[in-house]
Amino acid sequence: MKAHKIVVLGDFGVGKTSLIRRYVLDQFSDQYRATLGVHLYKHTDTIAVEGMDREVRLVLWDIEGAPLPGEQMMRYALGASGAIIVGDLTRDDMTAPMRGAADMVEARLPGRPISIALNKSDIAPAPDDDLVATLRDRYGASIALTSAKTGDEVPRLFHALGQRIVGAGDGAV
Amino acid sequence: MTETKTFDPRIVLDGARIVAVRLDDDLVVQEVAGDWCDVPVGEDVRESVPALIGLEDELAQDLPYLHLPFVTLGDSHETPAAISVQRDWKSGALWLLLRDVSEEAAIQERLVHQHNALSLAQRELSKARDAALAADKAKTRFLANVSHELRTPLNVVIGGASILLKPRKTALPAEDLHAFVRDIHDSGTLLLQLVDDLIDLSRAETGNLALVEEWSHTGVIVEGMVRLAKALPGAEGIEIVQSGDRVELYADPRRVKQILLNLISNAVKACKPGNRIEIATEQREDGCLVLSVCDNGPGMSKAELTIALEPFGQPKAHDAESGTGLGLPIVARLAELHQARFDIATAPGSGLKASVEFPASRLPAAAR
Ligand SMILES: Nc1nc2c(ncn2[C@@H]2O[C@H](COP(=O)(O)OP(=O)(O)OP(=O)(O)O)[C@@H](O)[C@H]2O)c(=O)[nH]1
Ligand SMILES: [Mg+2]
Repeated sequence: MKAHKIVVLGDFGVGKTSLIRRYVLDQFSDQYRATLGVHLYKHTDTIAVEGMDREVRLVLWDIEGAPLPGEQMMRYALGASGAIIVGDLTRDDMTAPMRGAADMVEARLPGRPISIALNKSDIAPAPDDDLVATLRDRYGASIALTSAKTGDEVPRLFHALGQRIVGAGDGAV
Repeated sequence: MTETKTFDPRIVLDGARIVAVRLDDDLVVQEVAGDWCDVPVGEDVRESVPALIGLEDELAQDLPYLHLPFVTLGDSHETPAAISVQRDWKSGALWLLLRDVSEEAAIQERLVHQHNALSLAQRELSKARDAALAADKAKTRFLANVSHELRTPLNVVIGGASILLKPRKTALPAEDLHAFVRDIHDSGTLLLQLVDDLIDLSRAETGNLALVEEWSHTGVIVEGMVRLAKALPGAEGIEIVQSGDRVELYADPRRVKQILLNLISNAVKACKPGNRIEIATEQREDGCLVLSVCDNGPGMSKAELTIALEPFGQPKAHDAESGTGLGLPIVARLAELHQARFDIATAPGSGLKASVEFPASRLPAAAR
């Protein structure tokens, strides 16, 4: 069975590690520990694709955060089947780093699906509808208002991307 | 054949915390030198080194360029490795190098963590500073507004009184006299109301507004307010009705009346003859009690509403008839004191509905 590489990108401290650890290990910690380089998580999940349950093997790349995608982030992102871009709802300047990462994915991984996580929904008010619509339309992204802390919308975030990767035919079993 | 002792670099790699792996074009492991980590020969290398998954196209190149400085398998406490791939020109073989970088990583990780933690803290600080500056600005604006609001009616009082005091040969006509006295009276009333509102608001803001709570009947409160509303200036021709459940509520009845009166007089001010205002009491399924004042007047845009919720934030200049401009901020504070949620739904052209949602805990147990 083919495995798919998914990269998780965004500014530091937005909750990339927390989202992955919630999804893969169902764990959460309030303590912040910055990620250096990349941490890999292998995970097999059952995802409904066009009404059929399919087993999907994922390799999740938890990449060191940065406000702008640099040489290193691009290097790590090479060969990914899809990207999750994470923003922190508590920040006033949430979108600039997300746009930077999404533009990089468009340029370096053309045609690969993007899912967007607007994270920390447990401690932040919901974002403007306009903002959500703009991000969705601009990057053709599916968007989830997630909380790694409570687990809210976390499975949906990963499943939505998995569906689009497998559904795109990239994932012949 | 005699055995010749030749130098074998592989022996050097043993114990050197570095592993070299020769791969074939299907990425199957052919040969491994070094014993730092386990890469089984004859197996697809992607099983033991999942970082190579997805990089097949890059590895198939004549000159693959791959260098990943810090890779850790995240779900265990494995040591971070630097991963790189090169092709041997002479043989065309693909070589994978895995190197233990735990020492560099330990130092780098501390640096990255300190940098990130510091700059997150700095962002929090500047956010707090901006909030403090904005609060300070709001206070200054509030003070400027208070002085302005006090000045206007005071000028009317002083101006009117000086005219009346001025010695003149012939007495003022009775209707002029009456008009001046009426203006002075109205301005005085407005001043008193303004001072009362300011006292309420500042008490609520400093936590010194004590509620006198008791069980009271919403039906009775609303009825009284509807009667009062019909007598408000400008209410002629506006239909004012009461609807919904009548329940007992544990609250400060004087403050609930104040909430309603503020909301109703706002509605009356916005409406024209022929419009309709409905004051409804509704107990929702989750047990909350919603008191609402709903009109089919002109409504407000988002921007106008934001202004209206600020102290003195009246879209237009006002007089004795349009109130103090402190109504909505007071309603918001009074609702808060009752742990109630204050909400306004409105849009230009579709009226306005202001509602105050009291928690179920303020209703008799039997009614919840
Ligand atoms: N309240 C709340 N806190 C969160 C949430 N997600 C993450 N955090 C906290 O935010 C901080 C940063 O989370 P991480 O997951 O380490 O962030 P990261 O994006 O991996 O950061 P880098 O590795 O530095 O790029 C931690 O203190 C988390 O506990 C969330 O959904 N809600
Ligand atoms: Mg991280």
